[in-house]
Amino acid sequence: MIGGLLSRERIIAQPGFNRWLVPPAALAIHLSIGMAYGFSVFWLPLSRAIGITEPVACPADAGFLTQITTTTCDWKISTLGWMYTLFFVFLGSSAAVFGRWLERVGPRRAGVVAAFCWGGGFFISALGIHWHQIWMLWLGSGVLGGCGLGLGYISPVSTLIKWFPDRRGMATGMAIMGFGGGAMIGAPLADLLMRRFASPTSVGVVETFLVMGTIYFVAMMAGAFVYRVPPADWKPAGWTPKHQQGGMITNRHVHVDVAWLTPQFWLLWAVLCLNVSAGIGVIGMASPMIQEVFGGKLIGQDGALAALAEADRTQVATIGAAFAGLLSLFNIAGRIWWASLSDYMGRKQTYFLFFSLGAVLYAAVPTAGRSGSVALFVGIFCLILTMYGGGFATVPAYLADIFGTQFVGAIHGRLLTAWSTAGVLGPVLVNYIREYQIDHGVPNAQAYNTTMYILAGLLVVGFACNLAVRPVAERHYLTDEELARLRDSK
Amino acid sequence: MTQPIRATDPGQSTKPPARSWIAVALAWTAVGVPLLWGVYVTLQKAMRLFE
Repeated sequence: MIGGLLSRERIIAQPGFNRWLVPPAALAIHLSIGMAYGFSVFWLPLSRAIGITEPVACPADAGFLTQITTTTCDWKISTLGWMYTLFFVFLGSSAAVFGRWLERVGPRRAGVVAAFCWGGGFFISALGIHWHQIWMLWLGSGVLGGCGLGLGYISPVSTLIKWFPDRRGMATGMAIMGFGGGAMIGAPLADLLMRRFASPTSVGVVETFLVMGTIYFVAMMAGAFVYRVPPADWKPAGWTPKHQQGGMITNRHVHVDVAWLTPQFWLLWAVLCLNVSAGIGVIGMASPMIQEVFGGKLIGQDGALAALAEADRTQVATIGAAFAGLLSLFNIAGRIWWASLSDYMGRKQTYFLFFSLGAVLYAAVPTAGRSGSVALFVGIFCLILTMYGGGFATVPAYLADIFGTQFVGAIHGRLLTAWSTAGVLGPVLVNYIREYQIDHGVPNAQAYNTTMYILAGLLVVGFACNLAVRPVAERHYLTDEELARLRDSK
Repeated sequence: MTQPIRATDPGQSTKPPARSWIAVALAWTAVGVPLLWGVYVTLQKAMRLFE
């Protein structure tokens, strides 16, 4: 009964179905899982879950096993921060592993499983906080929730591309914008809930996890049940495909098991990985960088950050946090803006713009810092962040153009391993270069410059990879008979 | 209970009925309101940069 309700056959749209219902359904799922970015809002309260007002430090000789099972001392923020690594590793790997399954069973079943994983992860984590077992948070939100992230992220991609063949970029941009925006809703909501539930004996995180898990579960289930897939070869009224022989948009299809063996897949993998590595690197640096480069100037005073009084440094840190918030808005705006623009400019040209303009902007950051113009510095970062978000949102449409729409969800799932890789590469690169320079006597405020030039260099490599992307060789496409067989088997 | 259409049916391109736009408006409101609230809260915090 339930299996039938979730089956792909059941969700093939009736004639007259309004395709504009699919993007909000996708947004409901992406806005829910996007809270992954906002989890840092829990770190401070969780770091004093036992001490309530102040963290209770573990004994210096406490081993790893003791730290993850202790019920007498608090977790360190660095221990909690492992959740981010788990999120993005399991996002990429589950998207890669389950992408083909998603194409077979359809988006509704995948969305429902994602809702159980993501919502269930919150419930397991709530138990973990109640019993003060960090491994339950890692397993619940990190591993199970991470699988929910991967499945939820790719669940609408193929469906949206098939519903909006005329505006693939815009359609996937709308959904992927939600992943960027989830933390904007989730983080302040979590803050409100924790204040509401906090008491002299609790930091209020258990109750907050239960409420948020329920909200996300309901929102994701609602989204999954609104999903409909179009009939095979559905086209919007009056629209004719733009396919040109030998052009960058194909109307044929490459099987996922073939696609990932083509040079095009790995070039696009590198394109995504390099764009995201550079972007993640910049996101991690943005707030400390503006504080250290401009110091007292941010609050109308002279002097470097280190020379300021404690109260002034706090004020500068608040401005740094405001800067990070502003960047998140531009990250989201870039997702819908660049992905929509790519429908007119072409995907390859859009990435050319990301990599060429991006490299110039990254390389201009040190000059903007030296010029003393906060507005110029902020403006450059905002533009960079639009292209970081735009890179995520435009890539599904790029894949559909190159490999066709039949397996685009599964191919996109495998491509997301580039994101997991970048999630490790970007921060490691930035932190390592910065520490190396500071160890060699470079002043803090200038230690960012080399990093920015190296990140600009990554974008130049990305430009070359994008340049090398060509249409897939004829032999890789499915024949009409193979395609018909595959569709029948579904 | 609506009957599913077979996957091999030809592509449909009929215009959606006018009443379907009410469902579209409701669905967009359901996701748009929280999103706008999130943007408002973030903008409020970001404004400190320009004070």
